Amino acid sequence: MKACRTIAAGLALRSRNLAQRARQRAIVRQMSSGPVLALRDVTVRRRGVAVLRDVSLEVAPGTLHALVGPNGSGKSTLFGVVLGAVDFTGSAELRVASGARAVGYVPQALGDVEKLPLTVAELLALQRQRWPVCLGVRASTRSQVARALERVGLAGFGGRRIDRLSGGERQRVLWANAIDPAPALLLLDEPMTALDAASRARLEALIQEVRAAGAAVLMASHDAEQVARLADSVTRLGPSLAGPASEVA
Amino acid sequence: MDRLYAFMAHQAAVGHLPHALGYAFVVRGLLAVAVLAPVLGGMSHLVVARRLAFFSAALGQAALTGLTIGLWLGEPLDAPYGGVFGFCLLSAFAMVYVRRHSGLSPDTLVGVFLSFTLGLGLCLLVAVTKRFNIHQVQAVMFGSLLTVTDTDLALLALLGGGVLAALGVLYNRIALDSLDPSLARAAGVRSAALEYVFVALLTAAIAVSLKIIGALLVEALVVVPAAAARNLAHTARGVLAWSVLLAFVAGALGILVSSWLPVPSGGAVVLGLGVVFALSLGAGRMLGWD
Repeated sequence: MKACRTIAAGLALRSRNLAQRARQRAIVRQMSSGPVLALRDVTVRRRGVAVLRDVSLEVAPGTLHALVGPNGSGKSTLFGVVLGAVDFTGSAELRVASGARAVGYVPQALGDVEKLPLTVAELLALQRQRWPVCLGVRASTRSQVARALERVGLAGFGGRRIDRLSGGERQRVLWANAIDPAPALLLLDEPMTALDAASRARLEALIQEVRAAGAAVLMASHDAEQVARLADSVTRLGPSLAGPASEVA
Repeated sequence: MDRLYAFMAHQAAVGHLPHALGYAFVVRGLLAVAVLAPVLGGMSHLVVARRLAFFSAALGQAALTGLTIGLWLGEPLDAPYGGVFGFCLLSAFAMVYVRRHSGLSPDTLVGVFLSFTLGLGLCLLVAVTKRFNIHQVQAVMFGSLLTVTDTDLALLALLGGGVLAALGVLYNRIALDSLDPSLARAAGVRSAALEYVFVALLTAAIAVSLKIIGALLVEALVVVPAAAARNLAHTARGVLAWSVLLAFVAGALGILVSSWLPVPSGGAVVLGLGVVFALSLGAGRMLGWD
């Protein structure tokens, strides 16, 4: 009997994984109407432990949905779900208009910049031209990059080395990368932790610009005042082993 | 090709070119280096960015095992590409798959695979050396100018061109994924598929380099040029240019030295790379770019 139960459990797990993969493959759909991002009962387990449990939320075009919660509550993991980097159960659906840029993402920090020596213009060109960046940045790309950098207050930074920038400057480069051209969904994972007050004000104004252009914004933040100022709705994530997430506004 | 060799021999005979270039095998070696430099130099730039230096060393060891498997299965000693490419590709995919599906750190995992493939290769080598002279096998393990044929050159040009074309198409995605996988995912890059494609290209580059550099030394050409270039350049374009240039200089030096002295071409090329790296360290400090 014990063997039978083990096999049955194994089959059930396999079945769940296949269903999950089918859902993940269908994650990006053409936009018709309704929310840009819809998560239903998303649960993430690592080595049998629930890191996220039964998270459901929707982000409509032109709105900002905030994720709040203590360190380790799974905010960044939820971004991993949306980006397709994390295995999960439940469903995650992203609806974007045909031909539009789907996702702009501002992580907490840029990856290991020592791996590849790049200038700011080269980094931004990686997503803006097909011509290999190692053979040069095209003139048309340079003008796009210059425009994006100007929007975040980094005009003239295109030739600077990424690894020589301060933490705040790197974060603003990530903003420039995420918002121009405007995405359907803007993901902001604690995006202002390294910024001074003036830069925060500038980027909050940019968020409003992006929303006005119709983008949906999902933002994780520890700044309660900022969330109260900007968010249309909020999901509060609890500590990892606590109960399901709650939508509070 | 024969007309080129005859022309070079004539120029060397009348003193317009160095004496060594009068030999067809030296010219073939230099032509091979001219093709290998952009392929391996360009590849090395991304190998270093993706932290795959140890992985490349493991692929070099796998090439030895692939060589012995190929010979054991009846491949000719002068063209053991099937065994080398097949086993290297299998090892590369296995390492990537296990790394992506286990909690082991990449260096631990590569260490395990490296030990296994080396052990298997040594066991098979004993069987192979009963059928071949050990010096013939050594030529493939350490590289030998004398074994390079016009057919090898044609294969090198064909596969090298293919690898370069694929790198050109995929470069921006590979570079973004190397720098920050989450940014790459947000840009729609399929990270897992990209990793398998990249290691397949690396395997192809290693397989076609085998005759010149040798199975055991080939990883030097996919790591050292970019490591030296990083000392001299601070942009992606600069690193690529220096990697290709340094790979060619070290390769050509190695070929010429191995034609003057009784040393294997692979060893001479790697020594040339060592010299180039040491010089780049000093130059980088003088330029203040470190």
